[in-house]
Amino acid sequence: MYQSQVMNPRLLLRVPGELYKKGIAFWKSLSIFGKFGLTVILAMIILAVGAPFFTWLPHNVSSGPALVPPGGDHLMGTDELGVDLWSQICYGARVSLLVGLGTALLAGLGGGIIGIWAGYRGGWIERVIMRLIDIMIVLPDLPIMVILAAFFGSSLRNIIIVLALFSWSHPARIIRAQVLSLKEQGYIKMAKSYGAGDLYIIFKHFLPELFPILAVSMIRLSGMAIVTEAALSFLGLGDPTSKSWGLIINHALNFSGIYFTPFWKWWLMYPWAFLTLLITSLALFGRDLERIADPRVVKRN
Amino acid sequence: MVLEVRNLSVTYQAEGAPVRALQEISFSLKEGDTLGIIGESGSGKTTLGLALMGLIGGKDRVEGNAYFRGTEFLSFSDKGKKALRWKHIAMVFQNSLEVLNPVLNIGEQVGEPLKKHLYLKGKELEARVEELFQLVGLDPQWKEAFPHQLSGGMRQRVLIAMALSCKPELLLVDEPTTSLDPVSRKEMIELLGRLQQEYGFTLVVISHDLSCISRLTSRLLALYGGRVVEEGLTEELLEDPFHPYSRGLINSSPHYFAYKDLWGIPGEPPTGQEAGCSFHSRCSQALESCREGVPALQQVCCERRVACHRGGIVTILEASGLKKEYRLKKRVLQAVNGVDLYIKEGEVAALVGETGSGKSTVAQMLGRLMKPTAGDITFRGEKFYNGVTRQENGIQIVMQDPFSSTSHRLTVEQVLREPLDINKIGTSQERSSRVREALEQVQLPWGTDFLKRFCFELSGGQRQRVAIARALVMKPALLLADEITSMLDPSTQANLLRLLKGLQNSKGFAMLFITHDLELARKVADRVMVMKQGEIVETGSSRRLFTDPCCCHTKELIDAAFGEHQHVHKSHHHPHTHEHVHKHKTQH
Repeated sequence: MYQSQVMNPRLLLRVPGELYKKGIAFWKSLSIFGKFGLTVILAMIILAVGAPFFTWLPHNVSSGPALVPPGGDHLMGTDELGVDLWSQICYGARVSLLVGLGTALLAGLGGGIIGIWAGYRGGWIERVIMRLIDIMIVLPDLPIMVILAAFFGSSLRNIIIVLALFSWSHPARIIRAQVLSLKEQGYIKMAKSYGAGDLYIIFKHFLPELFPILAVSMIRLSGMAIVTEAALSFLGLGDPTSKSWGLIINHALNFSGIYFTPFWKWWLMYPWAFLTLLITSLALFGRDLERIADPRVVKRN
Repeated sequence: MVLEVRNLSVTYQAEGAPVRALQEISFSLKEGDTLGIIGESGSGKTTLGLALMGLIGGKDRVEGNAYFRGTEFLSFSDKGKKALRWKHIAMVFQNSLEVLNPVLNIGEQVGEPLKKHLYLKGKELEARVEELFQLVGLDPQWKEAFPHQLSGGMRQRVLIAMALSCKPELLLVDEPTTSLDPVSRKEMIELLGRLQQEYGFTLVVISHDLSCISRLTSRLLALYGGRVVEEGLTEELLEDPFHPYSRGLINSSPHYFAYKDLWGIPGEPPTGQEAGCSFHSRCSQALESCREGVPALQQVCCERRVACHRGGIVTILEASGLKKEYRLKKRVLQAVNGVDLYIKEGEVAALVGETGSGKSTVAQMLGRLMKPTAGDITFRGEKFYNGVTRQENGIQIVMQDPFSSTSHRLTVEQVLREPLDINKIGTSQERSSRVREALEQVQLPWGTDFLKRFCFELSGGQRQRVAIARALVMKPALLLADEITSMLDPSTQANLLRLLKGLQNSKGFAMLFITHDLELARKVADRVMVMKQGEIVETGSSRRLFTDPCCCHTKELIDAAFGEHQHVHKSHHHPHTHEHVHKHKTQH
C-alpha cells in the first residue's frame, strides 16, 4: 500500500499539501500573542542559520574603530575592540538557540521518557525516580552549575549537558502525573493485553499523546536554558570562544564605567533587547501552545 | 413396551435420486409414556409418524424394525397393518383441509373408523360419535357440517376425535397447534393433556411448538436430516441442550420464551449429501474432523444421548474459585469472592448483577486485563496463558467506554490494525483486508475515507462499533462484552445489540454479556448468571431464571426491573392514575 503511494507522483504531492493545510490550521488556532511569538522565534532561527547572509562584517575580528555608535556600516555600532555588534548578535543567536534547543530536546525527551517509565512501571523504579526528582528540585541550580562549569571546563557541549541534567526533572514530573491517569485508559490496557511491549506502548501511545504537554514544557525549558547560558556567560563561565549574547553583555559590563559613557546604549542594550525578545516570544508561544495542547482543538478549527 | 423402534430408515424414491428421509432411528416407549419430536421442516418428523402408521409403501423403502407390544409390524401385509391402524395406533394428522374428505360431513367421517374397526351401526354408532364430539369439546350439532365450514380449531378437534374413536393405545399427533390462534392453541394443549391423563394412551407429539412439547411430553427427540441428534428428558433438554442444533431450535422458538429475541439457525437444511456429521456446515463448533464419519448417538449423562463428534456443546471457558482482592490501606476488599463459571461454545451467557457486584472485575480477569488473586481459568481445555488474547480463536474483550478503549488520536485503521500489527498476523495486505472485512461486519463504511478518520471524530455508537470490529479482527472464539451499551442512547443500543447478536449467531462465537440491565439480558442471553457481592448466586437458562427464579436476590432484581414496567403499563390503561402521577410530579 505504501509502495504504491510512493510510485504515484500525485500522491507524493499530497503530503506537503496536507502539511501545509495543517500548518495553516495551526497558525489560525494561535492567538495574536502566539503568532507574534512564533514569528519572532522563526525570525531568530532564520537570523541564526543565515547569519553569513545577513552580516557583511566579521563577527570575531575588528572591522573598524572601537565603540562607534550605530549608523553607517556598523548597523549597531562596535564594541571596545571595534568588532561589529550586529554580526556578533547574529552569530550569537546561533549559540543561544543551540543551547536552548539542545537543552530542551535533551531534557524534554529524556525527562519525558523517564517520567513515562516511572509512571507506567510503578513500583520501586517509580519510587527511586521520584526521590531523585525531589532532590533535583531542592538543589539550587545556579551555584552548582557554576561549580560544574568551572570544574568540567566551559565548552558549549558541557553547558548543554549540565543544563539538561538540571532541568529534566520538571518535564519528568508533569509527564509522570499524566501517565498515571493515562495508563488506566482502556486502549492502553487493550494494547497491553494484545501483547504490546513497554517500548511499543511508550512510543506508539504515550509519547504522541503526551507530546503537546511535552512541547510546552520544552519551550519553557529552552527559554530557561537561554537565560541560564546567558547568566553563566555573564559570570564569565560561558564558552569564551563562542560569542553568545550573554558573553557580549559580560564584556560590556566589564568595561569599567560603562554607565558613565553613552556606549551602553548600544553595546549593552542590543544584546539585552534580543535576549529579552526571544525569551518573551518563547514564553508567549509556549503559553499559547499550552492552551491548544489538546490536539482536538486544532482539528476542530 | 408399547412401541419399540429399531434402526428405522425411510428412503423416498424421488425422480432421479433417492431421498433418505429417516436414517437409523431407534427409540422405545413404555405404557403411558409421552414423547416429543422436534426438528426443522424436512427433518423427517412427519415421515416417522407416517412410517409408524404403515402409510409408507409402494416404491418408497422402509427398513428396520418396529415392534408394537413385542410384535414386529412393519413387515405386516397391508391387511395386517390396516387392522393395527386406528385400533391400536392412531394418528392425528397435521391440520389442513386436505386431510378431511370435502364431500362427507364430519359426523360420517368420525364414524368411519368406528364402522370399519368396531363394526358399530345405527344408534350405537350415533351415540359413540356424539360421545366423541363431546370428548373433544365440539357441539354434536356440528355433525352435519362439512369440513370447509369449520374453523381451524374445530377441524383439529375433529381430527383428534377421529384418532381417538377406537381408543388407540398409541397416539401420534402431528403439529396439533400450528395454524391455530393462541386461545385455540391453549385449549388444544389442555385437551390433549387431559385426554392423555384420562385414557393413559402413549403419546407422541410431533411439533415445532416447544411450549406445546414441554407441556405435553416428558421425553424428547431432536431430529435433524432424518437422524436423532439428541435425546433426553424434555425439561432437562430444553433447559440445557447439549447439541448445537437443539440449542438453535430453542433459540428460534417464539412460543417457548417470548421475551427473547428470535434468531434462527444460520445456513440451509441438509441435502443428505453431506459427508460426516450433517450439521457440521451450520455448527458453531465444527472441526475439520467432523466431516469424517457420522456421529453415533452416545450417552453423555443419564437419560441424555447426543450424536456429536465433540460430545455435545463444548465448554470453552471454565473458571473456578476466581478471586480478586484489592488491598486498601487498612482492610482488604473482596471484589470477587470465589466465582465458578463456565461458558459453552457458541452460547450467549449473561452476567447480571447490581453495580459493584464484581461483574466487570470478572470480565477483566477473563480478558486478562487483570490478574486474579486466586483461582484457575481454563480456556479450551488449557490452563490460562498470556496468548489467549493475542491469537485468533482466543478471547477478546469489548469494554464499556468506547471513548477510553479506542485512542482518540489514532485513525480507525490504526485502531483496527493494532492487534494484528502487534502480533504480526498476516501480511500487510491481509491485515488491511481483514480490517475492511471487520468494518463491513459491524456495518461501518470501509472506504479509505473512513479508514483515515480519527476516532475522536466518531460518535459514541460508531466508536463502540470500531471497538467491536477490533475484537472481530482477531476472530475470537469468546467475546467478553462488558456493559458495551450502557453509554449509548436507546436507538444506538438497539442497533448495536442486534448487530452483535446477529454476528454472534452467524459467526458462532461464544459471548459473555455483562450487564446490569435485565431487560437486555432477557432479550439476548441463552443462559444467565446472577452476581451479588462478588459471588454468583444463581445460574440458569434465561427462560427458567426469568420465569421462575429461585434465589431471593434474583427475585429482588427481577422485581426491581420488571415490576416497575408493569406499573407503567397499567397507568396507560387508566388515565386517572396517569394524571395523578403527573400532578404529583408538578407539585415536586
